[in-house]
Amino acid sequence: MPEQLGEYRRIAVFGGVYSNALALEALLADARTRDVEAVFCLGDMGGFGPHPDRVFPLLREHGVLAIQGNYDESLASGRTDCGCGYTDPRDNHYAVISYRYTFEGTSTENKAWLGALPRHRRLKLGPHRVLMCHGSPRVINEFLWESATPNGLLRHLMERAEADVMLCTHTGIKWHRALPDARHAINVGVIGRPENDGRTNVWYTVLTAGPDLAVEFVPVAYDHETLAREMEQEGLPAEFAETVRTGWWTTCLENMPARERARGRY
Amino acid sequence: MTRLPVAMIKPVGTSAGQAPIAPFVGLATLWVQITGTWCNLECRHCINASGPKSPWIKPLDAATIARAIREAEGAGVKEIYFTGGEPFLHGEILPLLELALAAAPTTVLTNGTLIGPEMADALAALAGRAAYSLELRVSLDDTDQEKNDRIRGAGAWGKAVEAVRLLRERGLLPIVTATEITRDEHPAGSGMYERFRDFLHAQGVERPRVKIMPVFGLGRQPAGATPPLTEEDLEGFDRSVLQCADARVVAAGGVYACPILAGLEGARLSTGSLEASFQPTPLYHPACVTCRQTGMTCRNS
Repeated sequence: MPEQLGEYRRIAVFGGVYSNALALEALLADARTRDVEAVFCLGDMGGFGPHPDRVFPLLREHGVLAIQGNYDESLASGRTDCGCGYTDPRDNHYAVISYRYTFEGTSTENKAWLGALPRHRRLKLGPHRVLMCHGSPRVINEFLWESATPNGLLRHLMERAEADVMLCTHTGIKWHRALPDARHAINVGVIGRPENDGRTNVWYTVLTAGPDLAVEFVPVAYDHETLAREMEQEGLPAEFAETVRTGWWTTCLENMPARERARGRY
Repeated sequence: MTRLPVAMIKPVGTSAGQAPIAPFVGLATLWVQITGTWCNLECRHCINASGPKSPWIKPLDAATIARAIREAEGAGVKEIYFTGGEPFLHGEILPLLELALAAAPTTVLTNGTLIGPEMADALAALAGRAAYSLELRVSLDDTDQEKNDRIRGAGAWGKAVEAVRLLRERGLLPIVTATEITRDEHPAGSGMYERFRDFLHAQGVERPRVKIMPVFGLGRQPAGATPPLTEEDLEGFDRSVLQCADARVVAAGGVYACPILAGLEGARLSTGSLEASFQPTPLYHPACVTCRQTGMTCRNS
């Protein structure tokens, strides 16, 4: 039996909440003004930010349709690491601090909720068959950076997934590529932290069906100073708060390809 | 006749027939051993005993490389790496890099000694117009000149550090890659990774990128007494995370399972097409133990 897919005309999609309840609230308020039929989250509810349990009531009350990220999978299954996929000692140092804090601060009930999330979602957006994943369709923590994701790989992944549109997150920096065969690959970015461009806002994505797909990246301003203060009060690394205040990444840098890295301060 | 280094001739490991197997899950990484084992340096710990005289693995011609890149692109490859030997000895390195970068992000593993101002200019221009990231991995085994040059040869430190400077000045961000070969010559507990980062900061590198690799007992480095992997060693271990599950190396003589074992008969999976090598790999060599135990990757990250 072929799967019955939800059909939509206009949707909002975001990734990487990273315990940033303030940005999540601001995004949900913004999305309500944009005539979207549904709001989707591509996973990683925790990590980096303060008070991990605060984001869950918002996600549930607003009916956000979520999938599981590597962080969610790790928290739900009691793993000792976040499964972010870092290989660099400095990246891993901060990842360990962040994961321990988030693991201790996430309730059993919320861990179970994360465990029940699907790994992928499929839907129709007008004529387009959409596949949602966290890292890539094949690996939950695969990094798909704009400058390191070749068209040949995208074709390969989307043909196998029988999708015209692939939505992913995980890297933390948004991008959109329209392929020559009319397929679209979109990294929707994250709302948990700014994207290493010296600006404090975060980003989400609005997709509108049409003969071709309309892709709009929407900036979201939120009370980042309050977030930074809460992070400090919780004893999270000063480097994390600096990123929130300045818009420049201070950690999780080593996995980044040369081109993206060259755009940042560190 | 080309003389093989002793460690290459002596049968090592279990025979392929008895060895545990790693699955092939799809091609993510293509390695091109562009200059074979032809190198202008003769490092004491070189995993494939590269050097200036009579390379036991010959350089590849441009047509073979172009064919491999085309095949890899069709298979959905994610990254391409050029290695050797020293890739910048190849007369067609720049056009081949351009070809690779049209297909996928591409990394060159180099000792840095042949990157002068002109080459650095050419690389910066290439990186600027390419669709995907160009990465340069410059090998340096110690931040101390004397310790480094004892391993890599006189003058190697100065030239590699100069290459890092030339690349940095042009907005390229080389990844300095070190093996742990001189680790024991530093006070216990002093962090090698931090030492390299501090060193690069002191050289004016604002965005230091450092990769540390273990030392493998093959090539010019004496083999240890490590027995090869058994099925028991791999119980409960996800073999699909091993490099040979999604990487292949094109070198003179065929297609091999991983960059560490390229050129070795037991690691050869095809003498023809890349596609013919898309099959399970025998984990027959003691070097496979290092991959299993350390989770190391030859990729950038």
